[in-house]
Amino acid sequence: MKISLSMQNLRKLVQIAFFFLFIILFLNARYPYEVSIESDFGLRLSPLIPVFTFIETLSIPPLVIPGLIILLLTPFLGRFFCSWICPLGTCLDATDHLIKTPRNKHAQLWEKWRFLKFANLLALLVLALFSVNLWGYLDPLSIFNRMLTVILYPLATLFTEKSLLVLAEVPFLETPAYYLFDLFKDNIMPEGQAHYQQVLLIAVFSGAILAGEKLSRRFWCRYVCPAGALLGFMSQSRFYERLVGEECPACNMCVSECKMDAIPGDNVSKTNKVECIECFNCGAACPPKTKAITYRWRWKPYHTELDMSRRQILAGMLGSVAGFGLLSLGLPNRNHERQMIRPPGSLAEAEFQDKCIRCLECVRICESNGGCLQPDAIHSSMTQLWLPAAQMRAGYCEYNCNLCTEVCPTDAIQPISLEEKQNWVMGQAYFREDLCIPFARDEDCIVCEEHCPTPDKAIKFEMKTALLPSGESRELMMPYVVPELCIGCGICEFKCPLIGKAGVFVTKAPDETSEMTYYS
Amino acid sequence: MKRREFLKTSALGTLAMSIPLSRWQVFAEENSLPHAAFVTNGDPEPLVQHAMQALGGMERFIQKGDKVLLKPNIGWDRTPELAANTNPEVVAALTTLCFAAGASEVKVLDRTCNEPQRCYRNSGIADAAEARGAEIVQVRNNRYTDMPLNGKVLKSWPIYRDYLEADKVINIPIAKHHGMAKVTLGLKNLMGVMGGRRGSLHVNFAQKMADITQHIMPTLTVIDAYRMLMANGPSGGNPDDVRLVRALIASPCTVSADVVGLELFGHPLADIEQIKVAVERGLALYDTEHLNVARIDLT
Repeated sequence: MKISLSMQNLRKLVQIAFFFLFIILFLNARYPYEVSIESDFGLRLSPLIPVFTFIETLSIPPLVIPGLIILLLTPFLGRFFCSWICPLGTCLDATDHLIKTPRNKHAQLWEKWRFLKFANLLALLVLALFSVNLWGYLDPLSIFNRMLTVILYPLATLFTEKSLLVLAEVPFLETPAYYLFDLFKDNIMPEGQAHYQQVLLIAVFSGAILAGEKLSRRFWCRYVCPAGALLGFMSQSRFYERLVGEECPACNMCVSECKMDAIPGDNVSKTNKVECIECFNCGAACPPKTKAITYRWRWKPYHTELDMSRRQILAGMLGSVAGFGLLSLGLPNRNHERQMIRPPGSLAEAEFQDKCIRCLECVRICESNGGCLQPDAIHSSMTQLWLPAAQMRAGYCEYNCNLCTEVCPTDAIQPISLEEKQNWVMGQAYFREDLCIPFARDEDCIVCEEHCPTPDKAIKFEMKTALLPSGESRELMMPYVVPELCIGCGICEFKCPLIGKAGVFVTKAPDETSEMTYYS
Repeated sequence: MKRREFLKTSALGTLAMSIPLSRWQVFAEENSLPHAAFVTNGDPEPLVQHAMQALGGMERFIQKGDKVLLKPNIGWDRTPELAANTNPEVVAALTTLCFAAGASEVKVLDRTCNEPQRCYRNSGIADAAEARGAEIVQVRNNRYTDMPLNGKVLKSWPIYRDYLEADKVINIPIAKHHGMAKVTLGLKNLMGVMGGRRGSLHVNFAQKMADITQHIMPTLTVIDAYRMLMANGPSGGNPDDVRLVRALIASPCTVSADVVGLELFGHPLADIEQIKVAVERGLALYDTEHLNVARIDLT
């Protein structure tokens, strides 16, 4: 009796601890990044990473170990990941308290959609066999990190900063408000306020997942999540079981308290092992007088069938094949190819798109430095969505920084040393002579040359005598790029004092070997 | 002596006697004190100490209870050896002298070009100044005040509020090469307290700099030339471009300090537009053609 009660509380404690671990890992992902636990560790707990990494590389690299441990524990413990660890699940549970989520009885019409998560997983697996890796979009940890990076953290910091600054306007509050402001800046947000593109789309995407709680409790986990499907598949015959004693009066309290509706109303002694996420709500819900529910290891466990018919399997696979076709049918826009500048250390474009799970951890850590990385938009192929892309007009790649290469959970950005990074050619700078001030206005500027960080400057200038309309002549410094020295860091484009388009811009470095070159 | 003249003289005499004796001594001292100190062949701390001694001690500039702001160059994410930022030991030495002269607080700040945290940390300045009790100020976007200039080109420009609110300001540039301006010294270093889109100042640079700097001249300018970046400035990055010069220039007049600083490079004043314009527009406190420079060799 005592044990079952504490199991639910223990689960809550662990769940909250893991949630804060994820938050701390997120906050730590910033300069100077001198940490004891690397921030990508959290993201590597995703049980999808080992499976899809294996399909992609036919090997088991060390980076999959955290996810593999989760996977190996699952046949014994069931979907414990979903309620004990997954921070997206914790967000969903928190949303339950904010919006009134319907009781299991009223949400039962959705139950026939349980197959959807398996179809999702299957579709993603089939796509992965075709080397189209889209599973990152639906990976729960990736979704959580994306939501945190692009929506929650910028929102929280915006409101904190703005409200403290408004308070500082009140005369007698100025000192305490600035004290709090400095405390906040020093400890939570030393970098400037983050501004991202794709905010709306990511907000709608993550908002929809949270809003699913309006349809049923843990709607995402019950019907959509491919990680949940994988873990459910592996826990069909899990060894840890819920036993219901003779004394059970079938009050069905456990049925209505179950987060996943995994206890059939007509047979409370059975658990749907595929759906159960080990939240231990059932044990806590069992009336104190009876306490009929106990949990125990059994070496001859019973088996739960997947809620998925052969027809649904076929439909899922057909859908994914059609999806694969559609994804490669879009007309590639060559104009946009130049904008697809990936972080230093990135694999070649095709391979990069396969490995990247769009978790945006690199975008997050970049914000504390040059701030050039942004979630990418769809240019030509849908698979470009939310890949990290350097927007040099928004920020630039810090010459002495290689932090984005250190936090990639799937090594789509390979960890490279600072020295390698400083010689890594991300792109190439070009001058736009119709805009660049010395060319277009016969005036000195050379801000680009001033900031160029390579020890032997990649932007140099030559003197030219310009004849002004007044008849006078003027000595001008005309900038030019030395291609062999330029690493495409983009500080020239960022610092260009022109309003709007810069007089110098960076294009993606030539990538002749990549399969993404559609034109030949 | 006519009556009118007698009245005039006696009035002047009364006025003169009403000034306490100590003030007279100060006037006399200030007249005999050099316009600038140029110290060579020393380590950073002795360079600073001897320069300040030659100028009459820090007490001449900093009074008891003054709030002092130090404005070194912390613009770049570079280590001290690369000479893109002011030598941290120079900043530390000045911090100590300010406190010894009775300063109630010493703040250190610069609006950096690279990411601020990286610059403050890797320049070594944050650690060095903090160790001597200075407060390291992170520059915040909301703390600029639009300053009316009524200059030749610019009408107004945002200046960092802490700079304007400080009782005394010490400008601590590093002498180095600069692609556009040829050299960067005291005047150019003041860009670090300017807000706005600073890159746009590069167009018609010399006049714009004079427009702004005439309103924000510091109490004292100390040019660090312990290490000098001779090429690929202002950001540098190549140790081969750095020369160990072991010199330092200090002056209450930024323009005079810069004029003396040109000796370090061997540039004639006529070649350096921004300093030339500043002299022409009368921003110097002294006659820059007849500067009284105390030259001290520490060897």
